[in-house]
Amino acid sequence: MSKSRFSRTVLFGLVVTLSLMLLPALSEARDIKVGIIDCYSGPAAVYGNDALNGFKLALEEINKKGVLGGKIVFTTRDTKFKVDIGLNMAKELVMRENVDVLVGTINSGVALAVSDAVSKQEKIPFIVWISKDEKITGADGHRYVFSTADNTAQGGKAGGVGLAKKPYKKYWIAGDDYSYGHAIADSAWRNLKALKPDVEKVGESWWKIGEPDLVPYFTSIMAAKPDAVILCTGGASMTNAMKALKSTGMAAKIPSWIHTAIDHAVLKPLGAEAPEGVLGTIQYLFYYPETPENKAFVQAFEKAYGNPPGFPAFNAYLTAHYIADGFRKAGKIDKEKFVDALEGLKVKNPVGGTVEMRACDHQAVFPMYFGVTKKLPNYDFVVASDITTLKGLDVLPTCEEIKQSRKK
Amino acid sequence: MVSDLGALGSQFFVGLSRAMILFVVCSGLSFVLGVLRVPNIAHGSLYMIGAFSAYSITKLVAGPAGFWLALILAPLVVALVSLVAERALFCHLYQREHLMLLLFTFALSLILGDLVKIVWGAEYKSIMAPDVFNGSVSLLGASIPRYNFFLLVVGPLVAVALWLFTNKTKMGKIARAAAVDREMVGAVGINVSWVFAFAFVLGCFLAGLGGALVAPTVSITLGMDHNLIIEAFLIVTIGGLGNMWGAMVGSLIFGLTQAFGVLFWPQFAIVFPYMAVVIVLIWRPRGMLKSVW
Repeated sequence: MSKSRFSRTVLFGLVVTLSLMLLPALSEARDIKVGIIDCYSGPAAVYGNDALNGFKLALEEINKKGVLGGKIVFTTRDTKFKVDIGLNMAKELVMRENVDVLVGTINSGVALAVSDAVSKQEKIPFIVWISKDEKITGADGHRYVFSTADNTAQGGKAGGVGLAKKPYKKYWIAGDDYSYGHAIADSAWRNLKALKPDVEKVGESWWKIGEPDLVPYFTSIMAAKPDAVILCTGGASMTNAMKALKSTGMAAKIPSWIHTAIDHAVLKPLGAEAPEGVLGTIQYLFYYPETPENKAFVQAFEKAYGNPPGFPAFNAYLTAHYIADGFRKAGKIDKEKFVDALEGLKVKNPVGGTVEMRACDHQAVFPMYFGVTKKLPNYDFVVASDITTLKGLDVLPTCEEIKQSRKK
Repeated sequence: MVSDLGALGSQFFVGLSRAMILFVVCSGLSFVLGVLRVPNIAHGSLYMIGAFSAYSITKLVAGPAGFWLALILAPLVVALVSLVAERALFCHLYQREHLMLLLFTFALSLILGDLVKIVWGAEYKSIMAPDVFNGSVSLLGASIPRYNFFLLVVGPLVAVALWLFTNKTKMGKIARAAAVDREMVGAVGINVSWVFAFAFVLGCFLAGLGGALVAPTVSITLGMDHNLIIEAFLIVTIGGLGNMWGAMVGSLIFGLTQAFGVLFWPQFAIVFPYMAVVIVLIWRPRGMLKSVW
């Protein structure tokens, strides 16, 4: 009896040891681990979740075929919109979870901190997918950081290029008194002035972030009678700005440009309250361009998550394809080869065509749509109309400018 | 010149209407400070709950009726929340020192903030004013939102109602007496505990009313409480702690300096109301009007 138990134990032990020995050999074609740090609590969660959904949708398609014989798997960590938490989470994902690629996040502070302290130090590829600080792929860019998000330089330049085509001469600049607001304003004004030197700035006003009542700001802008206004706001203030544009009647009198004003995440909650006639720029609209590819993407997204994709989902979709195609091109799961492979890589754009990862600064190059808010009969909320497409390279800083900014 | 006059006029009206919302909220804060001696930091959270409740009510009842109903019911929801808080927590703490109360109400503001997140979620909310108040009115060549005129009516109404209550009703007189000398009020056989409960709920009702009034003009979002509470404390301080007319004066100073600051020096408009606060406090450290503390 005891003898048979002994032999059984030995046999079991042998099987375990053998299978353990075999495991590394079998997992030669292992899964690619992606670590996602993003904000999944608080007001910013709306964007974090949209990006995650876009990423998941792309993975479903990618994993059917597989990458280098394995799959792409991911784990998420909530940064709670805080730099210290985000940094710790990123370190934990790299040290303990041994992720191959880091992805995230909406908070520019987190993105810059992780880029510098984790990605650059540990030589881990890091793809930024929502935050818009131009320093990420500009002045603070390095070999391991990439961005599939639009940035302030690009957003501002898109505004400048779009506005240069309009007849307005006298401009007022107003916005949230913090880094995002000023960065967008500087970029938009610099580019507008370069393209159309006869524009004139008649005044500026800046309010503290989260300012609840923008009406006094707008009534005083209207009193100055500029031809157009460059408004630099985002987040909760964006809704306040849209409401005040409508209630003061400013939207009907003076055209304003706000980057991302035509985002449906902004317009949909406002319903019929959203003002018409506001100019905006964005890199993704679920209803434009009306290509079969975009329609299929929107349909699949709506079926899976119940609402149409926003720009974070678009950025995240690209990110997933960069990871898949990057490793496919690299030929093996190797971080250095992956970085080399990403440079200049073109991946499938969900609206059709391809998107290139620019080699000089690791910034994805996609077009921007410049449109104006309008009520259309087929939507129960205000959408963008009269859309013009601004070419990707036209709205990005040039490689030369990037080089200059990195020298400083 | 006409346009300059128009600009001055429009800034005056817009500043005045902003002051009215501030007044409604601050009169409540001031009342609680005066009668209960509680520096209630959670007052801002109750204002936020008022705005979120107004959102829910307008979602349940469509059309302009929803807005009017929200204006009445949202403050009552807040009053109910504050009644529970008062009976369960505050009524045991009135004798504590101010620092303790400050910490306690700060903790409460964090708890209420999280509760709002659990109940309503983190997304931005937005409600519409009824059609009568949509659009703007042209005045001296400047356009002013119609809703702001409505605020100009509501603010003085609240002030008059509060004045009538504190000066002409028995309950109000007792509350005022309790503010001056609570031992004496207890000694003549009045149930001070319930007087305090009533005063607290009334103060919080006003916070809720402020929240419901502001709801159509802003995005209803987490964090709107912290933005307001700092301004509210400054206003109550420059007006004179616990003095209702002081809250009015403080709100007017705050609202108007902001509106005119935006017109004259827009790059630094943020600074103006705070500069006014500093000047008032140097000139009159105890506030513009008589403080009850």
